[in-house]
Amino acid sequence: MTARERAERRAAIGFVAPAVVTLAALTAGPALWVFWLSLRQRVPVFGIDHFAGIAHYAFLATDPRFWSAFRVTAVFTVASVALELLLGLGLALALRGQRVGRRAALALLLLAWALPGVVTARLFEWLYHPAAGLVNVALGVALNWLGDPALALPALVLADVWRTMPFVALFCYARLLTIPAAVYEAAAVDGAGRAATFRFVTLPLLAPVLLVTLLFRTLDALRAFDLMFVLTGGGPAGLTETLTVYAYRSLFQTLRLGFGSAIGVIVFVLVMAVAAAYLSVLRRREAAA
Amino acid sequence: MTSRRALVADVAVLVFLALYAVPFLWQVLTSFKPEAELLRVPPLWPTTLTLSHYEVVFTQSAMPRALLNSLGVGVLTTALACALGVPAAFALATLRVPAAGPLMLGVVASTAFPQIATVSPLYLVMRALGLRDTWAALVLADASFALPFVIWLMTRFMREIPRELSEAAALDGAGRWRTLLSVHLPLTAPGLASVALLTFLFAWNEFLFAFTFTATEASRTVPVALALFPGVFEVPWGDIAAASILASIPPVLIVVGLQRWLVRGLLAGALTE
Amino acid sequence: MRAILLAAAVVLLAGCGGPPRADAPVTVVFKHARMFGDDPVPRLVAAFERRHPGVRVKTEALGSSSDEQHQFFVINLEGSAAARGPGFDVMMLDVIWVPEFARAGWLLDLTPSLAPGELDAHFPAAAEAARWNGRVWALPWNFNVGVLYYRADLLARHGLGPPRSDAELARAVQRIRAAERDPKLEGFVWQGKQYEGLTCNALEALWASGTALLGPDGEVLPDTTRAAHALARLRGWITDGISPPWVSAADEELTRRAFGDGRAIFLRNWFYAMDLFDAPGAPVRGKVGIAALPGRGAAGPSPGSTGGSLLGVSRTTRHPAAAVALARFLASEEAQRVLAGGSVLPTRMALYHDPALVAKRPHMPRFHDLALAARPRPVTPAYLMLSTSLQPELSAVVVGVKTPERAVADARRQLAYALQGLR
Repeated sequence: MTARERAERRAAIGFVAPAVVTLAALTAGPALWVFWLSLRQRVPVFGIDHFAGIAHYAFLATDPRFWSAFRVTAVFTVASVALELLLGLGLALALRGQRVGRRAALALLLLAWALPGVVTARLFEWLYHPAAGLVNVALGVALNWLGDPALALPALVLADVWRTMPFVALFCYARLLTIPAAVYEAAAVDGAGRAATFRFVTLPLLAPVLLVTLLFRTLDALRAFDLMFVLTGGGPAGLTETLTVYAYRSLFQTLRLGFGSAIGVIVFVLVMAVAAAYLSVLRRREAAA
Repeated sequence: MTSRRALVADVAVLVFLALYAVPFLWQVLTSFKPEAELLRVPPLWPTTLTLSHYEVVFTQSAMPRALLNSLGVGVLTTALACALGVPAAFALATLRVPAAGPLMLGVVASTAFPQIATVSPLYLVMRALGLRDTWAALVLADASFALPFVIWLMTRFMREIPRELSEAAALDGAGRWRTLLSVHLPLTAPGLASVALLTFLFAWNEFLFAFTFTATEASRTVPVALALFPGVFEVPWGDIAAASILASIPPVLIVVGLQRWLVRGLLAGALTE
Repeated sequence: MRAILLAAAVVLLAGCGGPPRADAPVTVVFKHARMFGDDPVPRLVAAFERRHPGVRVKTEALGSSSDEQHQFFVINLEGSAAARGPGFDVMMLDVIWVPEFARAGWLLDLTPSLAPGELDAHFPAAAEAARWNGRVWALPWNFNVGVLYYRADLLARHGLGPPRSDAELARAVQRIRAAERDPKLEGFVWQGKQYEGLTCNALEALWASGTALLGPDGEVLPDTTRAAHALARLRGWITDGISPPWVSAADEELTRRAFGDGRAIFLRNWFYAMDLFDAPGAPVRGKVGIAALPGRGAAGPSPGSTGGSLLGVSRTTRHPAAAVALARFLASEEAQRVLAGGSVLPTRMALYHDPALVAKRPHMPRFHDLALAARPRPVTPAYLMLSTSLQPELSAVVVGVKTPERAVADARRQLAYALQGLR
């Protein structure tokens, strides 16, 4: 290496070092530490801190509450992401042809997306109020949305779709804007109807964006915490308790740091596995293209 | 599309948007509705409008202090993430950083980390440093997620700047810091603004870390104060609505005033590749 | 003159139970949740300061929810914070936290500072919550017991007395509802939401079925048959129509309002609710009776669980003598009498027959008898862990998504693992 290259390398390290040290201490370090914690029995109040091996994982493997939380997480993620994609894509397509109120529409969508999750939770909590909630008044029913075992999870999904759909809509809309009108004109000349245009022209051009937003939205849905924690607290009867809520309750309501960390590790592995799977699909598409 | 169909489609979209806005509008209305009329619906529209809920929120609740805490934590997190992230992005974009590939991969991967996984070790860190219930705990915890994001996006923005510009600056005798300050920063300023806005928004909205690391009004941020909003005898829906509206003000300002920059930041994260 | 003052000071100090100190001005910090309505604590604190010249008391408010207060204490008492000193000396503790805090080493052992038998003046259930491992860790301060409220006017109209068993309760509900023909009138409302209140209701159900949450050797739900029986009773009230379905999402306030607005015949709630029923202008004023919770079968009524708070002293306080003196003063008879004049019920038995207090609250003697029969929630450091792990299972039964047997089995399994090695 020449002296110049060495100097550049030194400078590069200097620029990068503070960030890397911070990341190592706050992000990478904890990500590794949580694995170690999950192998321990650590309960501060009782002064307990000793190695426990895979005891927590062995317990969770046959823990009905864990599998219930897993199921809730899966259902929530699939339902939420599917609805977001459909609604977001539909809205983007509709907005593309919209002549009036596009700027206001974008502002409204952005606002719903930008609100703190806690605000959205309290918003919907009030909407779902059994006696005075707008939903019940508008539908003329007296349903207990957040307390009924059959309704609580759909109610939660609806609230989540409301706040995340804009993300999909925005991305699809931005992509649609970059498709030149000439492409549609060519399709029209070829005699393609609206459905065919959508299937063979629009959708393939949107596919990369859809896949990327699918990735982001899935990861976010798997990690979601604030909405369900504040809106339902995981109730009734743990029917809206996702893995994150189960982990949080174990960690900080009962201060079982080892056990809660094990659940956290499982969420971590799940999220990274999903991310890896998506990325490999994306890469295969790019290789085929 | 025939013009009739276009009109119907336009109206349909407007109707949908109106319905979509209802949750938020209902909360705004509730915040001005007198207490006695809150639970008596229908009628939906109140007979008079009142500021009593906002008064309660400002004088008797933890919200004013929480607004200050959130503002402080948001600004400091953004400052820290940018101060550390921009130089790192500059190096990754223009210099030969050792192990740049794995480093970049690690940075991007860490944006996918679930907060629930890192919260327990961070709790122990904050406990050991005696930082529980302080702004510092939240700034550091939020930065752990904001920093990778800043590095990732700013590296992208900086890579778009042609090499010739930095080479020209070097020929003029500028050192690397000068190049960053005089060439890259001005050219990526809009991108940096977007990233800073998104970081501030993230810190403002952040709940899990804030809920875990704060114990009193000294450090409680807005989402936590809203989640813990006290009701002595009954849930004070009107007061909560008022508090929710107040909690939404910075996001509203950011969206309305800075829509373009915000959108640019969001899109940069996914579209260019 | 100086000699007399000095003698008086020594006598006062000796009477307070603390050793004579050098008179450096001392500040003791007292953390407590604000009381509803007229808060008598400032007056009491001022009285204490007058008797203890040289001691200043600074009161600081706690958050309003129990969980919030608990998180505050844990953050400030645990880990390195404790070494520096938490910044407060006397704290108001929920009944269920005392053994936990004692086990964690956050509380000062009060046993040496107390006169023998000092706790005997308090209700046995209240005193039991203050003791753990044979030592006294806190002083009982205020009290609540779970009781059955009933509409005395409705029962009298149909010639019924307060129900002593489930069967009598069911019969009363059916008779009265059939006769009153008011579709909005509910039968029996109680707290079935997934929170600590549900655990209290469940404990009372377990006791009524002749079992308990913890066995003598600490085993969780030792008698699974009786435990399932007890949980089935809770669900049964809903499926039989005696309780409305919304109790599965109801807490104290929701049910209190329903009963207080005249929309329910029976209510399970705490002592404090009676003041609100008797308030001027209340729809049910003068119509409310108080009884013990119904038992099952012929065994007669069963005990209510206890709530309330105690006063603890931080182990790392820099002024142990003054802090203990403050706690003892606030828990003393005269202080509790002042508190009882407000919205809070005392833990000292004698005050429930005090003429002035009874004049204000005629039902105090009735409360006294019910409090004597009350049982505290399990006094174990792991109580919060037990309760928070149990609540989803209880809620699952109440809501009807799990059978009582499954819920008991799942609860036993979870809690056995959680309690492993915790003693």
